[in-house]
Amino acid sequence: MENISKRYGTVTALDRVDFTVKEGEVFGFLGPNGAGKSTMINIFLDFVRPTEGHVRIFGHDCQSEGKQARERMGVLPEGYEVYDRLTARQHLEFVIGSKDAEEEPMELLGRVGLRDESDRQAGGFSKGMAQRLVLAMALVGDPDLIVLDEPTTGLDPNGAREMRNIILQEADRGATVFFSSHILEQVEAVCDRVGILHQGELATIDTIEGLRESVGGGTKLQIQVEKVQNGVLDSIETLEGVEQAWLSQEDTQIEVTCSNDAKLDVVVELNDAGVEVENFRTEEASLEDMFAEYTGGSR
Amino acid sequence: MSWQVIAKKDYAESRDSKLVYYLLLFFAFVFLVGGYTYPTVTEGDPTKGGFAGFMTGAVSLLLPLIAILLSYNSIVGERESGKLNLLLSLPYNRREVVFGKLVGRGVLLLIAIVGSLVSAGALVVYPFGSVSAMSLLNYVGYMILTTAFAGIFFGIGLAVSTFTTSKRLATMGGFGAYFLFALVWDGVRQGLNYALEQVGVIDGTAPDWLLFVYGIEPTMLYDRLVTGFIENDVSGPYFGADTPWYLGKWAGLVLFLVWVVVPLSLGYWRFEVTDL
Repeated sequence: MENISKRYGTVTALDRVDFTVKEGEVFGFLGPNGAGKSTMINIFLDFVRPTEGHVRIFGHDCQSEGKQARERMGVLPEGYEVYDRLTARQHLEFVIGSKDAEEEPMELLGRVGLRDESDRQAGGFSKGMAQRLVLAMALVGDPDLIVLDEPTTGLDPNGAREMRNIILQEADRGATVFFSSHILEQVEAVCDRVGILHQGELATIDTIEGLRESVGGGTKLQIQVEKVQNGVLDSIETLEGVEQAWLSQEDTQIEVTCSNDAKLDVVVELNDAGVEVENFRTEEASLEDMFAEYTGGSR
Repeated sequence: MSWQVIAKKDYAESRDSKLVYYLLLFFAFVFLVGGYTYPTVTEGDPTKGGFAGFMTGAVSLLLPLIAILLSYNSIVGERESGKLNLLLSLPYNRREVVFGKLVGRGVLLLIAIVGSLVSAGALVVYPFGSVSAMSLLNYVGYMILTTAFAGIFFGIGLAVSTFTTSKRLATMGGFGAYFLFALVWDGVRQGLNYALEQVGVIDGTAPDWLLFVYGIEPTMLYDRLVTGFIENDVSGPYFGADTPWYLGKWAGLVLFLVWVVVPLSLGYWRFEVTDL
């Protein structure tokens, strides 16, 4: 992926996005709705042509050699509709025929939990069932790259868990998985690396651990005090290991992001300043905070 | 592999569409009735190609409608619903998708045309027992011409399908084209004649350049080619001895071929370059 930009008139959907996904990794593409995730994936699939830049998959340019690129891909695209007159089994037979694969449709349907619906016309399927069906279609021919655009849309929690399991199974087989989501916990649960897209720009790209570390060393303190005194926040922020301190409730609650080692120092500092600590708790900095931070969702 | 798989699937789908199915049957029915009655109403040798002219009215009314119905929704419907996303995430390029769709639906149309014309032709010559090689060749030419005529509207439908982004617009475009060419062109011509006469540009009969303009419309062209090549007529404003070359049948054939090629190519080109 090299410096991909896509503009619609004056609107910039993607701005010089540039990254590489390694073979065999599970890559999560994260961002709020409208960040440009689907545009990116649609460029992979050559539904959309970039204004600038190139995407290569297994050495094939997605635009000039899209067919070759897609031969090794399994895709669950966004905004699809299944063929309402074909049965689930016929869908898979069509994909198997299209990819010159040799596979047993029933086996794939079994994997996604649709074995009992194999001879039903897909027109009567719920969103979740259609999603399972298209997932099964994406698995045809053991593709080297699986691209899933918001795969858990329409799935119940159970279905979402099965989806995660399938992603992990495919990764174990050696497939590269690229999936987009606006839901953090899904990405957190399965991804080796994460890229966060915000307003068409790649805000960051890192491992989950790396991201955690980048958010203030992983700990947030929440301290209830009787009354905050002037200047005490500033003096906390000068402590080593402290990243940021702020009032989360007028005069009575302080929040501090800091490294693990600095926790006690913060309390001591408060004590020295004559602020009475009534209660305190720590929490791991969640990816939620990090996500919010990168996408400007809070503070 | 590749486009055949799409064509097969598409053929199965368009066969399910009831309206087109009935229209195709109706088309065949009209030809059978025509073939049956023509020898009884015509004077002279019915195997001499007059049958083609006899059927022109029905052909230019029905065939454009069927051809447009078959193609106007081929891309835009699937594009709007998202079926195209599913199809194009498989290893197909867009050429194969268009080709698969054209072949899937085109075969249906071809079968209907060839089937109807062959049966009707047989009915025409049956009472006479024999048919000359010359008129057989003539009839094959008629079939090719008629198929190409359907191809023009098939191409217009495809262009409509790739240039529009919603089914509603495509329906308007497709039926608009049918309405204009097959139904109201004649009225437009007369209206324009009248208007030009009123403002004094023309006097009584239309001049050659105006005849040319009227004549570039596909159903007019088809009529002219049938008259010129199949019936071998040599009278009238387009075929008289002193008409300029650009109103003749060969110029007409060139225009006709342009109609076959241009909408189809434009439609395909548009699909190739556009974002879904």
